[in-house]
Amino acid sequence: MLSSADFLFYFLGLVSLVFGLGVVLFRNPIYSALCLVITMISVAGIFGTLDAWFIAGVQLIVYAGAVTVLFVMVLMLFDLKHEMKTFSKGVIGNGVKLAASGVLLGMLGTYIWATYATEPTFKPLPAAATSSIKATKDLATSLFTTYIFSFEVIGILLLVIAVGAVTLSRITGGTHHAD
Amino acid sequence: MGKDVFEIVVNCVKMLLIFLVMVQLVPILVWLERRVSAFMQNRFGPNRVGPLGLIQLLADAVKFLFKEPFFPEKGMAVMYYGAPIMALIPGALALAAIPLGAPFHLEQFTWLGREWGPYDFIMQGYDFGVGIVIVLGVSSLGAYSLLMAGWGSSNKYSLLGALRASAQMVSYELALGLSLVGILMVFNTFSFYDIIAQQTGMPLTFNFFGKVHSIAWLPNWGIFFNPLGALIFFCASFAETNRLPFDLPEAEGELVAGFHTEYGGFALLMFYIGEYGHMMVASALMATFYFGGYTIPYVANESVANWVSSGGLATHPNWAAFLTSLIFFLVFLLKVFLFLLIYIWVRWTLPRFRYDQLMDLGWKTMLPWALFNTVLTAVWLAFSHRPV
Repeated sequence: MLSSADFLFYFLGLVSLVFGLGVVLFRNPIYSALCLVITMISVAGIFGTLDAWFIAGVQLIVYAGAVTVLFVMVLMLFDLKHEMKTFSKGVIGNGVKLAASGVLLGMLGTYIWATYATEPTFKPLPAAATSSIKATKDLATSLFTTYIFSFEVIGILLLVIAVGAVTLSRITGGTHHAD
Repeated sequence: MGKDVFEIVVNCVKMLLIFLVMVQLVPILVWLERRVSAFMQNRFGPNRVGPLGLIQLLADAVKFLFKEPFFPEKGMAVMYYGAPIMALIPGALALAAIPLGAPFHLEQFTWLGREWGPYDFIMQGYDFGVGIVIVLGVSSLGAYSLLMAGWGSSNKYSLLGALRASAQMVSYELALGLSLVGILMVFNTFSFYDIIAQQTGMPLTFNFFGKVHSIAWLPNWGIFFNPLGALIFFCASFAETNRLPFDLPEAEGELVAGFHTEYGGFALLMFYIGEYGHMMVASALMATFYFGGYTIPYVANESVANWVSSGGLATHPNWAAFLTSLIFFLVFLLKVFLFLLIYIWVRWTLPRFRYDQLMDLGWKTMLPWALFNTVLTAVWLAFSHRPV
């Protein structure tokens, strides 16, 4: 018999997987982006089943609320038919796409294969972490002390991505008009 | 959900009631909007149908229900029909996360031949303890209904309206979220109940360079701790609800009706309900954060309970507890209505911004001021608790 928490986990997991597949498989980018929204919301729900309500809320605000709204907005500004036509042609391009997804799937598969049989080694939560304000405080403390290096590295990574996006938007050819 | 049938049923009914409160306040607000605008422009407004024109709302509802639903020829069915439903969800979920009255405790009682209780109920749909984060997260999903409506209608005006709407909502969400950081730092919690509890009590009490000061004639409200944050929050909430002076998504002079050009009848009504729902959420947040939530100024919470139980209004302690909570709910509703009136007042007073003015205001004025408010509050908090 499934407990309600188990049911919620499997249900949300299924929803996020199905709509995650939808992100990849839909040919219409708008539908892909809306599938991404539902994936984000169900991931927020999974955070919620783990009692991490702060992270669930932040997931909703940042990813479902802001980032994906921008995705959808930018997609609506594009000439989608032209984009779909130019993006889907070329043997080399398809080869690179297949190789990239193969590498990613291989990494994921290896990781799952290497870890699924072993018992998960969670650090035991401190007893007071169930109180939301304490949990949020713990999160902030560990984010800005223990994990400050990775936190800052991710910041630099985002900066690099922004610079890369600006550079890519300035080149012509590919999906861009050569005008 | 609850530990027995009674609690589960009460919690389900509560969720339904909160949704119905949101939906049923809409006709009253529409009536208010018409009458208040008429009053402000020295007109009568609708006053023929029923007393004060109140039955006009019923006629409107019938009209909305019986209009022919239509579908644009090249529209996308999933998005076109999904958008009005999506418009209702964020407002309803966000309103359900805000405490509308004091929580109450029911003693053990006998009913239908068995013992029930004791129970603790909250006047709120659900409470996750991080309150405001969930409310902001859920209400940030409101942009999707406009985007889906704009894209699914397959109409240039709709699409332009939707693009404007989403750009505006994303821009102002930043200022909205940042303006709340100040007040969250003052209260040092995310929970609505803790925030309201800290605003109860009569004299305005604050620390200044390590000494405790108090102003006897002011209530202990958040607005006195963070007036700039309150102002920015209230202004940004106008943009979030797409009301005038920020109603560029449906600027009828330029875009016919913006994102809901292709909608009519009940679907259009659902967009209206969503918009008014967002207004209610913003007003409720305003009341909760800056004006003491459901508490009554100059009156202690206990004296309300004493008044109910001693005044002969309710003999049984359970009924007294419920009635006390109901009084707090009415007080909260009164505060919410005051802010909704300000929304209506502003709508009929200020003209619409131009689009570049809107973006300038959001990014170059409100966001820096909200950041400044955060820094100022941090500095003030650091110094006020430290003796010279």
